[in-house]
Amino acid sequence: MTLANYPQVLFQNRRPDRIATLEEYRASGGYQALAEVVGRRSPREVQELVLDAALLGRGGAAFPAGRKMMTIAADAPFPRYLVCNADEMEPGTFKDRVLIHADPHMLIEGIAITAWAVRAEKAAIFIRPEYENAARILEREIRIAAAAGYLGRAILGSDFSLEIVVHRSAGRYICGEVTAQLNALMGQRPNPKQPPPYATEKGLWDQPTLAHNVETLACLPHIVRNGAEWFKKLALTPTGAGTKIFGVSGKVKRPGCYELPIGVPLSEIIEEYAGGMLEGSEFKACLPGGASTGFLPRQHYHVEMDFDALKKVGNRLGTGAIMVFDHKTCLVAATLNLMEFFARESCGWCTPCREGLPYIRDLLARIEAGEGEPEFVPMLEEMKTHLFRSYCAFAPGAAAPLESLLAHFKEEIQKHIREKSCPFKKEPEPGVAGLAKPRFIA
Amino acid sequence: MPKLTIDDREIEVAGGTKVIEAAARLGIMIPRFCYHPALGSVGACRVCAVKVLEGPVKGVQMSCMLDAADGMQVSTTDREAVEFRRYVIEWLMMNHPHDCPVCDEGGHCLLQDMTVSGGHGIRRFPGKKRTYPDQDLGPLVQHEMNRCIHCYRCTRFYQQFCGYRDLGALSIGNRTYFGRVASGRLESPFSGNLSDICPTGVFTDKPSRYFGRRWDYQRTPTICINCSLGCHAVTSVRYRQVARQEARMSAAVNGWFLCDRGRYGFFYASLPGRPRQAAVKGETTTMDEAIAHARSRLETLPPDAIAVNGSARSSLEVLAMTERAARLKGWRGPAFFADAGAAHNVKTAIARLEEGLAVSLGEIGQADFILVVGADPINEAPMLALALRQAVQKGAGILVLDPRPVCLPFGFMHVPTAPEALGAVLGRLVKKSIGPAGLDGPAARFYASLPDEPATGQEVLARAAGLLAASRRPVIVCGTGIVASALVGLAADAALLLTAAQKKAGLFYILPEANSFASGLLAPPESTTDRILKAVVDGDVKALVFVENDPFATSPDRELLERALAKVELLVVLDYLDTPVSRRAHVFLPTQTLYESGGIFINQEGRAQYSAAAFAGGAPILETGGSDHPPRVYGTGLPGADPQPAGQIMAQLAGEPMASEIGARPEYFGGSTVSELAELPDVEAFPEEGQRLSPKNLPADRFKSVLPPSSAAESDELEIILTERTFGSEDLSSYSACLETREDEPLAGLHRRDAESLGIREGDGIAIRTGNTTLEFAVRVYDNMASGVMVVPRLQRLPWQGLGKRVRRQDIRKA
Repeated sequence: MTLANYPQVLFQNRRPDRIATLEEYRASGGYQALAEVVGRRSPREVQELVLDAALLGRGGAAFPAGRKMMTIAADAPFPRYLVCNADEMEPGTFKDRVLIHADPHMLIEGIAITAWAVRAEKAAIFIRPEYENAARILEREIRIAAAAGYLGRAILGSDFSLEIVVHRSAGRYICGEVTAQLNALMGQRPNPKQPPPYATEKGLWDQPTLAHNVETLACLPHIVRNGAEWFKKLALTPTGAGTKIFGVSGKVKRPGCYELPIGVPLSEIIEEYAGGMLEGSEFKACLPGGASTGFLPRQHYHVEMDFDALKKVGNRLGTGAIMVFDHKTCLVAATLNLMEFFARESCGWCTPCREGLPYIRDLLARIEAGEGEPEFVPMLEEMKTHLFRSYCAFAPGAAAPLESLLAHFKEEIQKHIREKSCPFKKEPEPGVAGLAKPRFIA
Repeated sequence: MPKLTIDDREIEVAGGTKVIEAAARLGIMIPRFCYHPALGSVGACRVCAVKVLEGPVKGVQMSCMLDAADGMQVSTTDREAVEFRRYVIEWLMMNHPHDCPVCDEGGHCLLQDMTVSGGHGIRRFPGKKRTYPDQDLGPLVQHEMNRCIHCYRCTRFYQQFCGYRDLGALSIGNRTYFGRVASGRLESPFSGNLSDICPTGVFTDKPSRYFGRRWDYQRTPTICINCSLGCHAVTSVRYRQVARQEARMSAAVNGWFLCDRGRYGFFYASLPGRPRQAAVKGETTTMDEAIAHARSRLETLPPDAIAVNGSARSSLEVLAMTERAARLKGWRGPAFFADAGAAHNVKTAIARLEEGLAVSLGEIGQADFILVVGADPINEAPMLALALRQAVQKGAGILVLDPRPVCLPFGFMHVPTAPEALGAVLGRLVKKSIGPAGLDGPAARFYASLPDEPATGQEVLARAAGLLAASRRPVIVCGTGIVASALVGLAADAALLLTAAQKKAGLFYILPEANSFASGLLAPPESTTDRILKAVVDGDVKALVFVENDPFATSPDRELLERALAKVELLVVLDYLDTPVSRRAHVFLPTQTLYESGGIFINQEGRAQYSAAAFAGGAPILETGGSDHPPRVYGTGLPGADPQPAGQIMAQLAGEPMASEIGARPEYFGGSTVSELAELPDVEAFPEEGQRLSPKNLPADRFKSVLPPSSAAESDELEIILTERTFGSEDLSSYSACLETREDEPLAGLHRRDAESLGIREGDGIAIRTGNTTLEFAVRVYDNMASGVMVVPRLQRLPWQGLGKRVRRQDIRKA
């Protein structure tokens, strides 16, 4: 590994065998930033600092974190809430789990600083239930941090108090959508809720609520300690700022989580850090930022992994979860696999998502099973467009892989239809075997 | 006022109007499933998509989520929008079972309409249809989940609008299921509305299942008479049988919905056992002969020995003709009330509903603080509870002062208060919430007469007083069932005082029955059924005429009733119900129900409303058709059509010249002593929302209420509060078999303190000995009710008449 080429910020205390302790975190400068801001720097100053650092939300939507903080007005009512989104369910994404397992206090400090920046005195970490270990780690380390005076009443002698609760999700993908997540936190059915009002105005129990991703929050202590300019310069591209944790999976030799500067070329990630493609595999495409980004075809193999650069090639950096596919992988099957997930996880609120996704799944399953018809392609194209007219961002996200499949790999689809079988399979399976059986509730 | 263009036509609408509504104003029906005016916009179904050509956001947008904006240009016919809508329909129809031929919604199904108008005829989706198991939701609503298109109207109505939680959305994705956690009777007393709001056949009307298509029915706008609110309904009749009722939108009264008591309270009209033939001494005969017989018998008696009783379930026409007949003939009565207390409460309420103070049910939803005194909305007037909830949703605070363990589907403050203390608490609260400043004359004197806050004020009352003080549009809701008439007047004076304190205060009474208002207007002051029964026992009255009145259901003194009926020489009963008194009649004369005769009912706020005749009468074909399929009858006459409007019969009994036609106003009301009635329009010209009657002159007793002295002394007696229940108390709806399972267990409610002092625990059976009868109940122990009282449900099937007004503690024994 040649990670030493780049500074390790979020992973600076990461070890192969265990999580970093409070002492280790402190030894690396931990909680200095908190001491620096709480009671000393005004919330507004912190917000401006984050804005200057050009920190973009790491949960996938890439909204400027500073701007989101600033939408909580100075005279907004109290209590205010902070929600840390640790409901990491985007397929292929595992950065938040690794981060929590590496250095939980970095997140805790990030939460405390952000809470100060909006004067929220209660924070919730909304965590997916499969992350039970991470939840327990957080609960334990929150107690340790409180005992050390970094949380609880009158933090570090200031008049600021903060309580953090760890809330386990009931475990559905849609709970990662922030408005659905707030509903879930309130014990309601987690359907998304279109603004207005925005959560920062009326969120949890109609109070101002700020929600950020784990990785976003973990950046806060470093920005406060080292300044906005330093943070911006971490990136390799002028449009980027900071580092990013890339989770590489698929047909590579060393799948894993790598902290690299924003703007690092995709080819470098795959070849240098992920150990290159598996023996006998050639790069065909990848999903650059989780399941709700499109397939990035081979012609963009050297793209700079920056929010802006990926936008320019019609894709998104998303969560930075890179799923690599080789030339032996059927992308119709891969898309079908993703559609199975999205069709299953739709919350069921709006029609395009609830009914359109199973429809698309069905057509893809038929194509993959060799039962596709030529008219399926225009149907897929039309339905893909209509998915963008759904209630929340779920269906547009689900449409992204399909959209790119149609844009870059249409010939592969048509080959399935022409040959009445999957060209990647040696023996075509008879019937629509790939179709998931409908599930009923008793 | 934004001005926008929809399909090249310009319209100006109020700010905040959604594009879907603006289009409706132009007569453009944009497709919709999830959108409902009462439930608002949620953007779930996506079928209302339009293309915005000019405006703040462009492109395909959901017209239900989009505020109309100035200069906006909208196309509902743009290709892109139409294509998208076509897909939405196709998606929705992927799993729909296409069982329209056997679906009760077929013919008035929104999904059917949208599918056909959207041009979706051929199913392209090659996959299997999703199927769901259905649930048994009880006797009123049929569940067929396979038809569901997931518009979420049901759960939004059930949970958000009504505040009940036992039906909702379960699971996710295209497995989302609308139902209960397990099969079981729906808990909400508004559950029948599910059949109305479901845009397809997931929830259909169970009692009328497989009985007819929308176009088979004679559908008539009617007024519900199962409580005093006078909600608007549509009645469906087929084969001479009232088969179904739906809610009819009324902005002033019930809004879009109807409670289950009202929706299913009609079965009395088509019951197989309904008496349809006149009878003399138990022998059936023609109407003419029976009337002639009764008339000749009546003519042998001095007028003073004849007494007439009516009831508030009769239409204004019947009541007026009954009153007119009695007045002209010199008969005693008519008595429209069981006793003086009931009559006095209603008459006080009517007198105090002055112009400017009375608010409609629709206006309740706009109030910002509501004080409910001596009333139990969900049980006495269910739709009031729904209106209160809408006010709460908009931020109104609600305080209930009532001795009973009142339960409502929203958060409210409750101060359990003994009946005799209600006035004092009300007075204290109103006094605390406003200052003496700005008051003068009678208002100031009334203010001064109110009690001051005692040293140990309750925290809840203090909080309520604060909310009342801050409110601008407070409403006082006052019951007339369990309270003293002094409280009825005090509620009006309290509302007047709030008005004097610069608030736009409102007053809303609940009256005991559908036409209590008209009964109160027309009843002579001294006439009550109990006095008449006493006169029979004393030998002064020899003949009794009961007009649509079952004294066994209404009279609190069963013993007196039995003695009177044993002694009376002539008992003439006019009714459409098979009642204990009609079975004992010497002359029985069948009358028409409201569905056959039509009629005017005046609701509790004085709103006179006309309910049109829904059909011409006659026995249901299913009864007379010899179970043919299809049922048919050979003959020229209408079988079972003897019943006449009770007013017409009364006119004949009195020998008065006949009214030209039922409902023709002058004949009925011209001679009336009640000047308000003379102003009523002809029934043909009756306004949709009725006409409000209010006293001609300001009430003489404004600001003259005197608080009754309240005795806080511990008594060795418990006061018995007979309380109405949503189901099972009201007379007409208790004939509906489908509502029987909705009735509560007859439990006697006791405060924990009283229960403990009696050594009774929750669930214990008790026997109450009063007079020479013993009644048994199971006990429910409450913390949220007044002590010193026992709450007993006044269910028709319960012999509550034996209980009296008080019971000595030593007469209560564990059973």
